[in-house]
Amino acid sequence: METFDIVFYIFATLTIVSAFVVVFTKNIMYAAFSLLFTFIGVAALYVLLHADFLAVTQILIYVGGILVLLLFGVMLTNNVVSVDIKTGTLNTIPALVAAAVIVGSLAAVFYMTWSTVGEPATAPTATTRAIGELLMTGYALPFEVASVVLLAALIGAALMARRTRKP
Amino acid sequence: MEQYIPIAIMILIGVVAGVVFANINRFLGPHKPTEEKLSTYESGMEPVRTARERFSVKFYLVAMLFIVFDIEIVFLYPWAVVFRQLAPAGIIGMIVFLVILVIGLIYEWRKGGMDWR
Amino acid sequence: MNLPITWNDVLALGPIAVVFGGTLLLVVLESIVRKASPLMFWVTVGVLAVAAGCALATIGVAGTAFGGTVLTGGYASYFALVFSAGALLVTLLSPAYLLKRATAFTEYYILLLAAVTGMMVMAASNDLVVFFLGLETMSVAFYVLAGFTRQSVTSNESAMKYFLLGAFATGFLLYGMALVYGTLGSTSIAMLRSSAAAHAGEPLFLVGLGLLLVGFVFKVAAVPFHMWVPDVYEGAPTMVSGLMSTGGKSAAFAAFLLVFGADVLQSAAPIREVMAVLAALSMIVGNILAISQTSVKRMLAYSSVAHAGYILTGVIAANADGANGVMFYLLAYTLMNVGAFGVLSILETASVENVRIDDLAGLSRTRPWLAGLMALFMFSLTGIPPFAGFFGKYYVFTGAIGAGYTWLAIVGVIMSVVSAYYYLRLVVVMYFQEGSPDQVGTATGIGLASLVLPAIALLALGLLPSTIVNLTMQCF
Repeated sequence: METFDIVFYIFATLTIVSAFVVVFTKNIMYAAFSLLFTFIGVAALYVLLHADFLAVTQILIYVGGILVLLLFGVMLTNNVVSVDIKTGTLNTIPALVAAAVIVGSLAAVFYMTWSTVGEPATAPTATTRAIGELLMTGYALPFEVASVVLLAALIGAALMARRTRKP
Repeated sequence: MEQYIPIAIMILIGVVAGVVFANINRFLGPHKPTEEKLSTYESGMEPVRTARERFSVKFYLVAMLFIVFDIEIVFLYPWAVVFRQLAPAGIIGMIVFLVILVIGLIYEWRKGGMDWR
Repeated sequence: MNLPITWNDVLALGPIAVVFGGTLLLVVLESIVRKASPLMFWVTVGVLAVAAGCALATIGVAGTAFGGTVLTGGYASYFALVFSAGALLVTLLSPAYLLKRATAFTEYYILLLAAVTGMMVMAASNDLVVFFLGLETMSVAFYVLAGFTRQSVTSNESAMKYFLLGAFATGFLLYGMALVYGTLGSTSIAMLRSSAAAHAGEPLFLVGLGLLLVGFVFKVAAVPFHMWVPDVYEGAPTMVSGLMSTGGKSAAFAAFLLVFGADVLQSAAPIREVMAVLAALSMIVGNILAISQTSVKRMLAYSSVAHAGYILTGVIAANADGANGVMFYLLAYTLMNVGAFGVLSILETASVENVRIDDLAGLSRTRPWLAGLMALFMFSLTGIPPFAGFFGKYYVFTGAIGAGYTWLAIVGVIMSVVSAYYYLRLVVVMYFQEGSPDQVGTATGIGLASLVLPAIALLALGLLPSTIVNLTMQCF
């Protein structure tokens, strides 16, 4: 498992470093693009966890979709004439304290329960087939309801962005 | 993990190709900058204001539409792997899902979300 | 689990299927019919009425569907009834209100039905994934509805605030679900309840429950995650606030009661203690802050925080009395709060967006009907017998005493007395203060009728609470 570890550390570093850039860079465009690397790093971590479907979803939706939306959002909202597309990091100290408390307690809990979780009983296999089966049987209702979420989001976006006030 | 090796190679090729092609002209091309060459090209006109404008919100609508159908693909993918085993119920379930999103598309269409007015 | 779904599964869904289909029908109508406004309104009314009937018909036959991930009949149908009743009243009061705000978009009804679909799915969830999808459906619809009056700055602020904080709370909820799944190896809520005792000592499980609690406390608008409530309720269109504060809260509590059931609370003692403190704080903070409000909407918003505290008391009790109390309370609260927001929506005019308490002075002479109805809703919110609000509090506090949380019941009773100050002040202003509330609007026939209905229901429930309690008893 030597190469596995090396690959893991490469992608874990990529994820964390790019996430730091997202938070601390003052240029919002740099933040958006470095988020791209965070997403890719997370997708790679999913692959290492044998969650192949999740990795594909991560690439397809986050890298391919959400990021595009995010960039459009930046381009739509920045008021180029009067304000720079730059932002500072606000409330650094309180945020640091809150994050430290939450991360600290979670890390402590994970450390304590590490030994009890153990290895999975069955060897991990490709997940796509199992997910497909569950979507069509036990989780058919949430699957169909997901389409209503998408529909509501679509209608909401169209409504908010529509220019005319005609009914 | 072995099945991911081709993907890793593809990623490597992609990164190398991108970096090389983006920078190769810096080393191969001649550098003789003049003031005219460095100015913004506007078909011979003097540029009067910044090119950084606020984009029309229409772009956002198109992106939003894209996301919705992007997510639809994510659901189609695991379904496509197993739909033979789940013959009637699985196919009806997916048809309902698709019909709902097509209704959304029709709505967007009729409301002029795709017209560039 | 891997059984193919059958028609029985679909039919067992009842009210969910009706509202789900209704939402799609409305989108189709919106797309193909021009000038669809009256048609959309009546279709919405019809769909909600059919859903309510369907819920009533299926309330006696409790079961599960889709391999045990969805609850049908019983509990789910009872809440489906609450949601459709609340949404029906909101719908009836909406056209006149939307006209005043000059927003003629009929997407309002689509989003309203989508929100109700989400609520029903939440109350019917026997699996954390199902619950999450229901919650998101409801929330996305509410985010848009809160900003529905696009010209109003406060409405935009309300939508923005609700969206950002709601997404944040959703993050906590999801993380909690992930950790609970990590310990149990299953997302089933039934399994979560049955195996809670075996996992009670594991810190990972407790942290998961704690994070779930954060999400739930935000969604039911209890302390300490109540800061968004006044701004969001004040800025959102009044009838949307009416639905958010009743249907949204009821749906969150329905799922709360399912996830934090008796088994979970009895084995996870620290979580229960934290919840008791939060319930007490909600009652105290909500009621004290409500006293100093001048805007009626903000007053109702803080009172909604206080009511979250009362209802939380019933969840903490974790016994039959408490659970029945929560279910009864949510029905009563839905009726009286939709009523109160309904009166407000009628009093508002195109120029007066936010009715202050002083604006109501002398209302009893100029608008005797509206003043009378508002007084009735205020009495019920205070918990004065013989109105339904009294029995809601009675069952909830009885449950708490039975579970050994006498101190919580005492706090609740004291805070109810405090709440009488600001609820009854409204009545005093309407009846005993001189004023000329000429700027306020008048009721249409349909608006008045849809306010009289909940008023009658509140009286009936207050006089015969056993009819509903017999229904809720069957749900467990």
